Amino acid sequence: MDETRRSSRRSSRRTFLSGVAGAGAYALLGEAAAQDKPAAAPVPAAPPGTVTNEAIKSGKDASMQYHSERPLTGSVPAHQHDFDVTPTDRMFVRNNLLTPDIDVAQHRLAVKGLVDKEVSFSLDELKKNFPAVTLQGMLECAGSGRTNYLPTASGTPWGQTGGMGCPKWTGVRVADVLKAAGMKSGAAHVAGQGGDPGMIATAAPVIRSVPIAKAMDENTLLAWDMNGAPLPKIHGYPLRLVVPGWVGSASTKWVHTLTVLDAPFKGTYMTSSYVTPKWSVEPGQKMPADTVSSEAWPVKSMITFPAPNARVKGSDRVTVRGRAWVGEDSINRVEISVDEGITWQRARLASRGDRYAWRTFTFDYQPQRLGYLTFLARAWDDRGNAQPMVSGWNPLGYFWNGVHRVGVMVEA
Amino acid sequence: MLGFFCQAGLAQDADKLTSGPGSTLTENKCKICHELQHIRRTPLSRGEWADNLKNMRERGTPMTDGELATILDYLSAYYSRDPAPPAAPDSLSSAGSDPIAKLLEAHACSGCHTLDKRVVGPSFREVAQRYAGEAGAAARLAAKVRSGGQGAWGQVPMPPAAGIPAADLATLIGWVLAQK
Ligand code: HEC
Ligand code: HEC
Repeated sequence: MDETRRSSRRSSRRTFLSGVAGAGAYALLGEAAAQDKPAAAPVPAAPPGTVTNEAIKSGKDASMQYHSERPLTGSVPAHQHDFDVTPTDRMFVRNNLLTPDIDVAQHRLAVKGLVDKEVSFSLDELKKNFPAVTLQGMLECAGSGRTNYLPTASGTPWGQTGGMGCPKWTGVRVADVLKAAGMKSGAAHVAGQGGDPGMIATAAPVIRSVPIAKAMDENTLLAWDMNGAPLPKIHGYPLRLVVPGWVGSASTKWVHTLTVLDAPFKGTYMTSSYVTPKWSVEPGQKMPADTVSSEAWPVKSMITFPAPNARVKGSDRVTVRGRAWVGEDSINRVEISVDEGITWQRARLASRGDRYAWRTFTFDYQPQRLGYLTFLARAWDDRGNAQPMVSGWNPLGYFWNGVHRVGVMVEA
Repeated sequence: MLGFFCQAGLAQDADKLTSGPGSTLTENKCKICHELQHIRRTPLSRGEWADNLKNMRERGTPMTDGELATILDYLSAYYSRDPAPPAAPDSLSSAGSDPIAKLLEAHACSGCHTLDKRVVGPSFREVAQRYAGEAGAAARLAAKVRSGGQGAWGQVPMPPAAGIPAADLATLIGWVLAQK
């Protein structure tokens, strides 16, 4: 039963891909291109079985800013993030490949590799066999905030604060599923693979692995609900990994296979993307040979209220509000500066909720003079790390966590 | 679905790269999976482009070594973050308030030319040497700069400078031809 289901999925994927490749757009590409004639090859359209940008956008808030159309990427600016729990329609949008339209009845999750027995589950079987967990957890694209880097680094031009969100997820623990399969000795990494197709048959599948310890963390989930409703297609319907606190690429969407490995997976999305230099390089230089895989986000915060350039009355107190988070460990404190970082005062920090959830901070301030007033927010984690004013440059523009700055106009 | 196709078609008709040797090849290869804005939005150093192309090949771009080399040359010439090579002591940039330097700057000539080193285009000294004493050289060169062109020094084209005032152009060409 499992076998037939799985092989039927595989063959439908194969037919699908050859259908795309045979669609004619590429057949002549090599030849025309080799001669470098000005006649441009026809532009490939989005293949069937994938979700259109219109459909995705219709599920998103009007405050969403789109950074590219093919693939669709988008996020809301910091002042549109003023929620304790990120609403689904404000969660950032980012894929490497296309967004698949998956029939949940056909979808299965297979667990393979260094396991005692290979197993596979339908969504209903997952729900029936394992305890469901709901938790709030941070997801943030590795390149979030990239446009702050100078010189500009290559990749999605996320705005100042970037592409991130902290919704509630419901699913089962990856640990429970891995235990059901039983891990062999030597198991070191778990790779997630999703059903997102590329535009051509040669497109490398997006496969990313995480160390066993992170996979076994009780907060690492195979989730089917986001904020109490089934995942929207763009966010991984019907099933996705949620590896909270870590770069978004670890949280494989449309996940259909978990493979237990004895070492980190060696594909391009592990070795050429989602890496930073082991030793920092001069800004504008290429990636050195020694690199480190991108995992947990460093400490970060943003001011979500007031909005940039808001008008406030000099006689009124301003309540600054924001969110602070860190990929592992916990937030120790958040400080605000009203003098460009010369002095800092503590903000009030809401008590800790779920381990990987962001935390709300507030700061009441009575303006001392008229004119433009700038608030800077700086978070500290409990290991003594703080946000820098400017993050260290790296070739792919990852992990921007520089201090966020919002100015308002104080009027009489 | 139809709406999407139309919209995608429209959006990508405008999706082009600067025309130059290798631009069609680059367009054809690089728009398969994503928009060409990925290239236009961030100029990179040659080393970063080399890394990017290695990465794009791993991600599934069908391209031969020869095609990769052509695309790398094209991207590093037309979408480069590298500053022009440092100016030699006697070159234009050291000329300060020199009116010629200002004209070259204002009409963007200095992005591609210096007095004595090849950058994208030939050095002005080698241009002067080549056409020394040639009748009608000034008029021909002025026309060439205005309309752009390639082939005299290699296969890299000079883009047209259509909007340049005739007086500025005459001053510049006169000055170029006077270099020794
Ligand atoms: C087989 C599919 C494919 C082809 C063909 C392709 N790319 Fe990409 N490219 C990707 C994917 C996947 C990404 C990451 C997702 C995104 O932003 O589109 C990407 C991203 C990029 C980026 C952003 C930086 C980064 O690493 O994410 C640049 C720049 C880029 N591509 C350049 C090129 C160039 C130049 C070519 C032509 C030689 C090319 N691409 C052809 C798949 C492809
Ligand atoms: C984008 C780069 C670029 C810019 C900008 C540019 N040039 Fe050129 N220029 C070139 C190239 C490349 C050539 C060589 C063309 C060829 O081989 O025919 C060239 C050639 C020339 C020549 C010699 C033409 C010949 O037929 O021998 C002159 C004179 C010249 N440029 C002047 C100028 C002036 C003046 C400006 C500013 C108004 C200018 N260029 C701006 C790239 C540029």
